[in-house]
Amino acid sequence: MTDATVEASNLSKSFGDKQVLQDMSFGVSPGDVIGVLGKNGAGKTTLLELMLGFTPPSAGAVRVFGHDSYSLPGDIKVRVGFVPQQDELLDQLTVGDQLRVIASFYPHWDSALIDRLCGEWGVNVHARIKSMSVGERQKLSILLAFGHKPELLILDEPVASLDPIARRQFLEQLLTISADGERSIVFSSHIVSDIERLANRIWILKEGRLDWQGDLDSLKESIVRLHIRSTAPELPAFKIPGVLNLRRDGAFATAVVRDWTPEAQETLEKNASVQIEVETLGLEEIFVELHR
Amino acid sequence: MFILNPQSGVPIYRQILEQVRRMVASGQLPPGTALPSVRDLALRHTINPMTISRAYSILETEGLLERHRGRPMTVASQARNHSQLPKRLQQIGPLVEQTVVAAKQLHLSEAELLKDIRREWEQNDD
Amino acid sequence: MKAVARLVWSYFTGTPVLRACTIGGLVLMIVDFYILMTQPHSGEKLWLAVMGLSFFFIGSALMPVMFGRLARSHAIGVLPGGRLKLLISMFVTILVVAIPVGALAPASFISGNSSVPEIMKDPRARDYVLQLTGITFTWVVLFASWMYLAMWFLTSQRNMAGLFKGLLVITLVIFAPAREVRDLTVTLSWNLQQIAVLWTVFGAGFLLWPRFKVARARRNRGLSNSLGRALAGKTMGREFDVLLGTSNPWLLTAALLLPLILATRFVGEFPAVWLFFLTIFSVVTGALSGQAGERSRALWLRGDWSRASLFAAVERSIWRQNFHVLGALMLFNIGIGVYAHFSATLLMTGVPLLVLGTLLSTYLGLMITRGLRWLEILSGIGVMLLLMFLAVFVAREDVELVTVFSLEFGLAGIAIALRFIARRRWTQIDWMMCRPDRALTARGA
Repeated sequence: MTDATVEASNLSKSFGDKQVLQDMSFGVSPGDVIGVLGKNGAGKTTLLELMLGFTPPSAGAVRVFGHDSYSLPGDIKVRVGFVPQQDELLDQLTVGDQLRVIASFYPHWDSALIDRLCGEWGVNVHARIKSMSVGERQKLSILLAFGHKPELLILDEPVASLDPIARRQFLEQLLTISADGERSIVFSSHIVSDIERLANRIWILKEGRLDWQGDLDSLKESIVRLHIRSTAPELPAFKIPGVLNLRRDGAFATAVVRDWTPEAQETLEKNASVQIEVETLGLEEIFVELHR
Repeated sequence: MFILNPQSGVPIYRQILEQVRRMVASGQLPPGTALPSVRDLALRHTINPMTISRAYSILETEGLLERHRGRPMTVASQARNHSQLPKRLQQIGPLVEQTVVAAKQLHLSEAELLKDIRREWEQNDD
Repeated sequence: MKAVARLVWSYFTGTPVLRACTIGGLVLMIVDFYILMTQPHSGEKLWLAVMGLSFFFIGSALMPVMFGRLARSHAIGVLPGGRLKLLISMFVTILVVAIPVGALAPASFISGNSSVPEIMKDPRARDYVLQLTGITFTWVVLFASWMYLAMWFLTSQRNMAGLFKGLLVITLVIFAPAREVRDLTVTLSWNLQQIAVLWTVFGAGFLLWPRFKVARARRNRGLSNSLGRALAGKTMGREFDVLLGTSNPWLLTAALLLPLILATRFVGEFPAVWLFFLTIFSVVTGALSGQAGERSRALWLRGDWSRASLFAAVERSIWRQNFHVLGALMLFNIGIGVYAHFSATLLMTGVPLLVLGTLLSTYLGLMITRGLRWLEILSGIGVMLLLMFLAVFVAREDVELVTVFSLEFGLAGIAIALRFIARRRWTQIDWMMCRPDRALTARGA
């Protein structure tokens, strides 16, 4: 239990009378790559910033490497990296200066890595931040969190402004980082295809609660669309466990269900004398269905 | 070597499983062939290496792959034989089901379908 | 035109706090107007209106910030006539703020001297009242235009250049329009001319700015880059200060001194005004320390500090900068005092004022740990008013040293209390609430 990188129990957060997060419990283990999905306003940023102690929880607790987030000690902070949604770059500095300033706070900074990535990602070290485009700023923000080789990397919509090539380069770098299986990454994104490539676990945030928390593979196997056909002219009445969305049309029906198992299929086919064809869904489709 | 689609409803590890099983059964991957390392595959397709190593582990348990210290995984020498008939039939199961369902929807009879299959079998012998 | 109306409405009702100010101010002014019109010789009640106007003005305080954000947003360039509508909305807001004053001036005159029916009968009186209304109204438009412009520079640019421009504008305001009122050289036509020139220049500049930016982008960036680096100051060894924004005290000092020199050149003869001025400038430190909360967000994960020890480090950094500014201001104060033959008493009581101003505003700024809310705004305004009152009081001929020093000690006590509050609040600082856009995004601006 204490090996967990991050642990949260019954975490809640409200701003004034507005409840943003309710009763969340989750964990991050070393080697996890967690994709956080949620509609705008579902509380993703609040969750990520809570995890790092930028704001106190209203109830419950969250611990990083065994320490309470709100009062993280220095030796834990150097093991953590964060890319916020709104960048914290200083307009008057050049890229090089900004990197140097941030690097000075860390005893171990891999300048060789950063230099190489600046070259590969096309970040001009001599450019003034004021004159950079949104995409370039985002790349720099990401680099600022890589340099000290954190064990826990938290990214809040890190690629919102990057073009597909830049995104691909970023994903490749994240893969390299997580390759040793000891580092954990938690990132929120709207770009579901990126999450599908990279994440092994998914958190789906809906209205302040963790609607789904588990392996991406299990998610895809568990939420499916059923195409139901009756041998009789009219589809008999039946009940499907865990149904999210059901549409009937004469002798046919389509249902999206969660927690699907092959046994459930057998049972249903026998009890309701129907034939079921299972269609698996991609992550984006699953997300949409969960929010219908 | 593999055609992987991260956006598919089929989890990536399962895609790898199916493809390896099929290729071993068909002889496309003869025993002793080295498979790409987890890391290479992950970087080439830009996917999480854990899903790849999960697939490789399952295949190793099934006896299709062999692990070697310090070297990439290879197709097991007994792989072809280990792939018993029921297992190989299971591979083709979904396709058979789809074909039967489609035929029934088109009101084809069993005999007509089998005739078609036989013709296809003979044509494909080269 | 509907867009303009909606914009103006949102300027006045941006957040619940400001909405309350707007409504409160309006009510006070209407009440006072009614009193003035119906009760003769009630000119002393004008203070109600002044308070009302102040609140009303505060109620629209969000306007320069919103204006700045909208002006820089992508949407405004895309919407048809976006920039023009934005410009018009600012002008309309100023007109709206000026109307109450324009109505109150003749009202107070009438109340003090006669009544409405009498005025209407006498053509000369009627003319006079009309002229008074016109002059007051146009003067307020002019003054408000300058003040909003200054606020825009100060709030939306958030760096030295903006600070500098804002202070320069404030200097000019005290120089031209305020001085005219003092010297009673205000005329209607001169006011209108100034308004015309100011708005033409500003309007043209604002509307043509996008094209100017494009042209500038094409020019050689070399010079601007090296200038920028020079202005950013030495970063090595002072990284904490760089992130906090306190790394270049010399630039801040220069930004303060230049407008001060200008002001002294034009209004140096009156100790009261001059001290008043000096106090205002020492308040600038408050603007900078007010940003410390927000900017320290970048420091949280980057050092072995708890919130409490971060406060100590931030406080140290701010004071390192303050010392430079204070030092320069004090030297300036003494230099001008000697040159203008201020009395020794004045110098002795004036220097502590500078220190007090810096102390108070620094800790007022450091109290902002959850965004700007009622407590921070009210205490800020209250303390600043006290300080300004003291500045004027100190410059009086007949002042007693004992009184002055006890008042100054009192204010010092308040400063210490503010520090205590700020330090305690920092142990609970919530960086998610410190975001500058929080108030604005709440309204969907």
